Order: sequence, then C-alpha cells, then structure tokens
Amino acid sequence: MSIGARTKRFDGPSKVDGTALYPGDIPLDNPLHAKVVFSNRPHARMVSMDTSSASAVPGVVTIVTAADVPMNEYGLTMFDQPVLVGVDGTGRSAVPSDISRWEADQIAVVIAESIEAAVAGAEALVVAWEDLPIVPDIDAALTGDTLVHGYNGKPTNVFYDYKIRRGNMAEGWAAADVVVEATYEMPHQEHAYLQPEAAVSYIDDEGRVTVKIAGQWIHEDREQIAHALDIPDDEVRVIYPAIGGAFGGREDMTLQIVMALAARKVHALGIDRPVRSVWNREESILGHHKRHRARVVTKWGATFDGKIVAVDADVYMDAGAYNYTSNKVLGNFHVAIAGPYAVPHVRIDSMAIYTTTVPGGAFRGFGAPQAGFVCESQINKIADALGLDPYEVRRRNLLGEGDPTITARPLPIGITMEQVLEECATRTDTWRESAAERDVRPFASLPPSDSAVRTGTGIGIGFKNVGFSFGFPERCEATIELGGDSDEYDSATVFHAGADVGQGAHTVFAQMAADALGLPVEAVGREMSDTATSGDSGSASASRLTWMAGHAIGEAAAVAQKAWGDGDRPARGHYRYEPPSSEMIDPDTGEGAPFITCGYVAEAVQLAIDVETGHIEILRMVCVTDAGRVVNPLLAEGQIEGAVIQALGYTLTERLVVHDGRITNPRLSGYLIPGVADIPRDLEVVNLELPDPQGPWGIRGIAEMPMIPCAPAVIAAVHDATGVWIDEFPLTPDLVRKHLRAAGIT
Amino acid sequence: MLSGFELDLPDTLVGVLDLIADGRGTPAVPLAGGTSLIVDMRARRTMPNAVVWLGKIPELRGIQVTQDHVRLGPCTTVSDILNSDELAGSGVSLVRAAEAFGGQMVRNAATVAGNIACNSPASDLVPPLMALDAEVILESRSGSRTVALDRYFTGYKEDVRRTDELITGISWKRQEESSVDLFHKLARRKGDAITVVGVAVNMAVSDGTCMRARIALGAVAPTVLRAKRAESMLEGETLTPGLIEAAARQATEEASPIDDVRASATYRRHGIQVLTARLLTQAWGRLT
Repeated sequence: MSIGARTKRFDGPSKVDGTALYPGDIPLDNPLHAKVVFSNRPHARMVSMDTSSASAVPGVVTIVTAADVPMNEYGLTMFDQPVLVGVDGTGRSAVPSDISRWEADQIAVVIAESIEAAVAGAEALVVAWEDLPIVPDIDAALTGDTLVHGYNGKPTNVFYDYKIRRGNMAEGWAAADVVVEATYEMPHQEHAYLQPEAAVSYIDDEGRVTVKIAGQWIHEDREQIAHALDIPDDEVRVIYPAIGGAFGGREDMTLQIVMALAARKVHALGIDRPVRSVWNREESILGHHKRHRARVVTKWGATFDGKIVAVDADVYMDAGAYNYTSNKVLGNFHVAIAGPYAVPHVRIDSMAIYTTTVPGGAFRGFGAPQAGFVCESQINKIADALGLDPYEVRRRNLLGEGDPTITARPLPIGITMEQVLEECATRTDTWRESAAERDVRPFASLPPSDSAVRTGTGIGIGFKNVGFSFGFPERCEATIELGGDSDEYDSATVFHAGADVGQGAHTVFAQMAADALGLPVEAVGREMSDTATSGDSGSASASRLTWMAGHAIGEAAAVAQKAWGDGDRPARGHYRYEPPSSEMIDPDTGEGAPFITCGYVAEAVQLAIDVETGHIEILRMVCVTDAGRVVNPLLAEGQIEGAVIQALGYTLTERLVVHDGRITNPRLSGYLIPGVADIPRDLEVVNLELPDPQGPWGIRGIAEMPMIPCAPAVIAAVHDATGVWIDEFPLTPDLVRKHLRAAGIT
Repeated sequence: MLSGFELDLPDTLVGVLDLIADGRGTPAVPLAGGTSLIVDMRARRTMPNAVVWLGKIPELRGIQVTQDHVRLGPCTTVSDILNSDELAGSGVSLVRAAEAFGGQMVRNAATVAGNIACNSPASDLVPPLMALDAEVILESRSGSRTVALDRYFTGYKEDVRRTDELITGISWKRQEESSVDLFHKLARRKGDAITVVGVAVNMAVSDGTCMRARIALGAVAPTVLRAKRAESMLEGETLTPGLIEAAARQATEEASPIDDVRASATYRRHGIQVLTARLLTQAWGRLT
C-alpha cells in the first residue's frame, strides 16, 4: 500500500546536493538579463519617464514600460493594480496607470546583455513624480482624507465588507454574567521562503509566450498573463521548475506578467534569446505581499458556567495598496472570529481597507491566524475571569455535528474538534510537574535573579477550511496514462498541474496514483506543473491540493483502468473533479455554509519568561492535528513541524517595520525568522488521522491548521506566568517589557 | 551587486603595508573574513577601488599565550576563539562572545581585527576585549604603535586607525587567579542576531575588596564604551546588592542608546541595568 508509506521525496536528493533547478538556476543559452524597477514611492503620480538615457547605457537592449502593456491591469479577484505604473497608457483598463500606491509598484523592466548593464540602465531612468499624501495605516485610511483608489467611486478606503447578524444582542448581553472586551492588533508577516523570486521567459517552439517561474497555480498565472497581454490563454505557457517555498506568497504575480512582456518585446525586436530575472532578498521582501496586519475591537459575553452567549466584533484589515486576495482573506477572517464555538447572539462587521503600504494577501492560514488570536485570547480570558480550566471552558462551547455556526449553518460533516482537544489535554496532563523537576534551565548563560524567571502554560485550538470556499467553483484535473507490454499494465504516468512548493505534492500524487492502480510507487512517472501538458489543478493553497488531487487522481485511475480493459494503448484516463459546492454568505446577515470540509488543531505550550529581560523560551510544545488520513507521514510531520516553527516566528520574533509606507527592515538580518536554536527541543507533533468522510482515502488537509492557535497559546502562557495579558505581538523582548512595565513588573 | 575593484593577494605583511600605503586614488582596503566589508560593498555603502586580501599570510592568524600576555593575530577567526583551549582559561568572556557571534558560517570567516575595524557599536568581541584592557597594535610602513582599545574608537564609525595602518595584533595581560571576566548579550533570537545590548564585566577581588572593575557596554552608544564612573563606584569597595544596583544604574547613565529596528532606547537602558547587575553579582559571587 502506498497510502501511509513514509516514501522519501523524489526531489529530496537534488535539493540536498544542489542539482535541483530553481528558476534562477536553469542553464540558458545566451540569456538576456532583466532588472525590474520599483517606483520607490509609496504614493505618487508619475509626471514623466524619460528612457532615453537608460536606453543609451551600453548593453541595454530594450525597456518595457506601461506603453507595452495591452491591458494594463492585474488582480486575482478584482483588477485594481496597473501591471506597470506609467504615464503612457492604460491599455483598455479602467485603472489609472500613472499612480504608484506602494513603494514596490513596478514601473519598468530594463533588459540588457548583463545584470550590470540592466542595473545601470535602471539607474539611468529619469522619472518625475508628484508626491501624493501617504496613507500609512488603518487609522489614516479611515479618515478618508486621501483615497487610495479614488477612481472606484467610493468615498472611503473601505472597499470590501462582510456582516454577521445573528440572534439578538440585547438578549445576549442580558444573559451574560461576565463580559470580556479588548482591542487586538495583529502584525504583518513576511513569507521568507528560501528562494527569492526568479523567472525565465522566452517564446517556445510553438510560439507561446513561456514563463518558467515558482508559483502556486500555473493556470491562474497563465490567465493573468494572457489577460494583461490581451491574448488567448493557449498562447501562454507557464512551467514551474523547483519551487523554494511559497506559503501563499507566490499566489499573486510578481515577475509572471512583466517577464512575459519582456519575452514578447525581445521577440518583437527579432531577438531569439531567453530573458532571466532574479530578485535579491530585499527585492523579494519589498516586492511581494504579506500576511495582513489587522485590528479587532471585540466584546464577548459568557455565563458563570462558561457558555458564550454573545460576540460583538469590528474587524479592520489593512489590505495595503491593492486587493490581491484581501476580499477572500477577509471572508475567512470574518467567519472564524468565534472559532469552533456555538454562539447564539453575534454581530460582526469586517472591512478590508486600502492604505499605501505593502499589499496584504495569502499566507498560510488565510485570515484564520488573525481570527484565531482574537477568538482564543477571548476564550482564555473568559476562562481566567471565571476561574475555569481552559480545556473545560472550550468543551462547554464546542460545535458538534449539525450545530449552527455563527453563519447559521453547521460545519461540514466529520467535525473532530473535540477529539483533538481531548488528545491535547491528555498529552499535557503531565505538565503539572515543574520545570525545575525536569531540570530545565532556560537562559542558562545568564544566571537570573531569583524572582525573574517564571513559567506558564497556555493552549489554543482552531479549525481551517480545506479548499477555496464561499461559493468558489473548485475543481482539480488529473490525467493518468498506463503502460505495459503484457495484458496487465506495469507502469503509469501522472499528468498533473499541482505545484510542489516544497510540501512534497508530487511525491504524494505518485503515492495516490500507485495506490489507486495497484502499482509500486517507483512505477509511477510524473509529468508535472506545465500548462502545455496538464489540466487545471487549482492552487497549491487553502490546504486543498492533496484532498482535491486525491479525488481527481483516484477517478482518473479508474478511467484509465477502464480504457486499458477496453484495449486502448496507450490507455489514458482524464478526470475533472468538482467537489460539492460551498456558499457565499448573505451580505446582510452572514448566513450561509461557506466551507467544503475542515481540519482541526490544538496547541499547548509551556514556556519560561525572564520578566527582567522580556525573553521567552518555549520549554515544550504539543501540536495535535486532525489532518485526516495521511498519505505520507514523513512529509506530514515535517510540514506540521515547519508550520509550528513558522507560527512561533509570527508570535515571537518576526516584526516587519512599516514606516510612512515603507518597509524599513527588508532583510533577513532585520526581519528575524526563527533559527535552529529557537526551535523548541521538546516539540511533539500528533496527528489523529480521523478520516474525513468526504475526503479521498479519508484525507483532510495539513498545511495551515498548525499556524492558527500558536500565538494565543503563547500569550496565554505568558499570562499564566506573569498575570499580564498582551493583546498584540510579536512578543519581542522590548514589547514584553513594555507590557510588564505597564503592569508594574520592574 | 558588487561593483568592480582591484584585488591584491600579497603574501607578506610588508606587501600589505605597501599596498595600503599606496596613494593612488582611494586607499586600498584590507579584507580578512569579509563578513562586514563584502556586505557593505554589495550594498554600495563603500566602494573601494582596491582590496587587499590578508588570507595568504598565515602568521597573521593565531592565538599566542605567554607567561604574561595573550596575543591574537588579526586574522584569528571567531571560530578559532571558540575552539581555543587556552582562551578558555585566560579570556573566557571573549569565548562567550564568540559563542553568541553571528551564525556558524560567519564565525568561520569573521576575524577579530575585522570585528574591531568595522567599527560597529554592536560588535560582540569588542566589549569583552575592552573589559580585559586589550590593546590594538597598528603597523604601517612608517612604524608601529599600540593603542588601548578603550581609546581606539572616536565616534560612530570613526577610529584612530589611519588608512595606511593595519591592525596586526590584539593583546591583553593574562588575568590573575582572583579575577572573573563575563559577557552576555541580549538579542532578538538565540543565534545569528545583531546585539541589542551587550555587557562585559571584568573584576578582580582581593581580601573581600573589589580591586578592579571593568564594565564595557555594546550597542548602546555610538561606540562600544566603558562605564568608567560605574567602575569607580566599585573599586576599593566591598560589593553589596545595593551598591551593585547603584553601579548598574550609573552604567545606564553613561550610555546613550537609540531607538532602532531591534529595540527602543528604553529597553536598551533597562537591559544595561539588568545585565550589568547580574554579571556583577555573578562575578562577585564567584570571587568571594
């Protein structure tokens, strides 16, 4: 059986020995080099751009500007960004192209014989700007004094909103014995994938504009390129070579469209050479979106026995300069505010707000980590206020099968939140013994003063919807071709578009095909991630790819087996899977069933805090997930551990500084992701593998869930240790000290 | 992206001194580990026309411990310091700083002279060296001179070294038995993180009296500096918790920290207080 096997990743050795080809590594015959030029203006109107000096720089071949973009607009869910900011033309788009709304809006691509010449050309561009007022944050945006997208006809920077109106708030407050109110501030997060953006583009031998790049959804990339170039989709080809991490950060376009434009312009000059562009880390951090920063003002009511009776919340989400996927992230954020709990009376208003800062977009968890921080902090505070055990207060509020959520419909069948919670409770039962008894010595190199080091524990739980939700037409295609010379097939090839972003998708596809076909996994070949050979898989995001691809591969295998039986040689099976549909929620009441299926998680931490230095050390941590049946436990464990560490970075060390519309620490020396020494030595990952009744082989999803409850669990542990609640993060020593000082801990 | 430059690879010290003394255009810049210089060149913060690599002169690297002195060759790497048994007994605060220094690859390349010459107030090696009363030996074609590390830095990114001079050694007196030297840094993660506050303490005690106190502070002023008034509060005294607290508070007065991307001035000032008090308490406790 290939399902459940600890198969090693096919691409593992090549990534260890360096032979894996990422987009920046692909050997090219006589390439040209492209430098993408950023506006370096958070908010300004371009008055003029003179390319003559740049064109005259020795080695510069050509320069792509806004005038070269037939349809100068971009956006995954709404077109609100010029592909290139410039004075000379918007194509047929309604989006004014002459305004930079973000410091990394792209204004030109300089193509040259060498990187040095391209950089020199970029420096020789003469651009005149008229600066416009910067809208640096939510507060400034809400005044409406400066409209970031004034052309859209709205008198406000709020461009998308959702509501929930459930029950009767007056009744809810009347029933409440305790009320917990707070304002939470959630920070940006940078994806910090190992591989900065890079791309190669050329015209292939069938005349297609071809882009080799690291992304998450080749067919979406193709559609966006075709839209901007104003050509049919099938005149564009997108190929993903090795991808060095994504986490949602490659869902939106960075180099895709401009490199397609570059290939076409070079080709039009009669030059038959590929073009390459490789961003450095600074360009990567400046040039792609982030996890949204947000503020939630909320008030919850509960009875003495811990039942939540009312939730009131206003969600303010900073979308930055452009929508990207903000309207979708906001939807997820919105419906997750009350977590996996039943609440009879609810008012929530959520809004996405434009500012002239880096766009917010997809990032592992897609709004759920922000909502989870709010929800789990609130329930931890309710437990504290009522003197209840934090596990017990959750038990009393959990949604069960058929219970209406805050959107008045049940969660999809197969709810396992309770089992996950109880497993976490069991695993942490032994934590009552103190750190001293376990001979744990945090901060060993600096002997603390006697009273400075305190310990505490905390938990958080959560769920994440698997698959694009809110009525999105989900789909996933797969094709399988069987081979063999005798009556029985003995080999197969899987054709699939799904992106292996480092999670091991292609290995897992082969395992699922092998299982469906009764072949050893070594007999399954792979043709992957090329729009010329594969149908649409949908994105490698939303914890969806294994679930969707499993359905498609399983069915394609059956079709191929039938073709084999019918005597077809080669025998091919193609299948387009479309899952049961989800619903958009009602705009006025929020009613609806937005999800297809869900995965569940609980996390507990025990930490030590030095209250004098503000330093925190995670002593031990448990992450219990229900990812459903696991295809490859080796990969799943690594992915969950990685997610927990990424969540710890979000909680503790990763602080993006955005000042006056500019990121001031766009380097990994200033934006600190966890290092090896920061990983808890005692990190336990448990997967319950309770089958999803709707999932292929009982699969749910893995990728996002562990990201969700970490921050509230850590904050609860800090409270347990110090008595201080902190409603913001990351918990840098400086921030921790600020709160402890305010609480009188000197 | 690096811009073009001339790279010289001399194999004698005289060759180096000739090259950096050469007055053609901008002066040639010595290159040792490159963990600071190359980063600055890539960011175009500095764009020398000529670079002189010191790596072909083996005698510039090494740790010599004699009866009275410890001397480090300028190209001694941070990893050399970490792996030295001799330093563990005569400069352990420097070993602690080496442990907290950058990441493994940086430690393998970065050198002690480079860490001084790059003039960073957040240097990790300078506070312990300064607390050990280390001296810097500077050589040029016109001779050599010795400068106390305490007097080497003259302002933010400024020092006494002329462009025709090379740091050819760092030395300090071996510490007596009844002394302790300590270092600790606060940073925002456990490794590979720029210092937020670094404090080195060196103390000698005789008959229950503090005979020597040195307190060096990193990342809290335009240069690494000694908190001399705090030191003088301690020398000749029997230390008490109250005196240690007062000296630690005095040390915060001698610093001039700023707000930056890593921490606020308020946090840094508090960090000096906490680290200084704890390190003084620890030192006194070991010696009495």
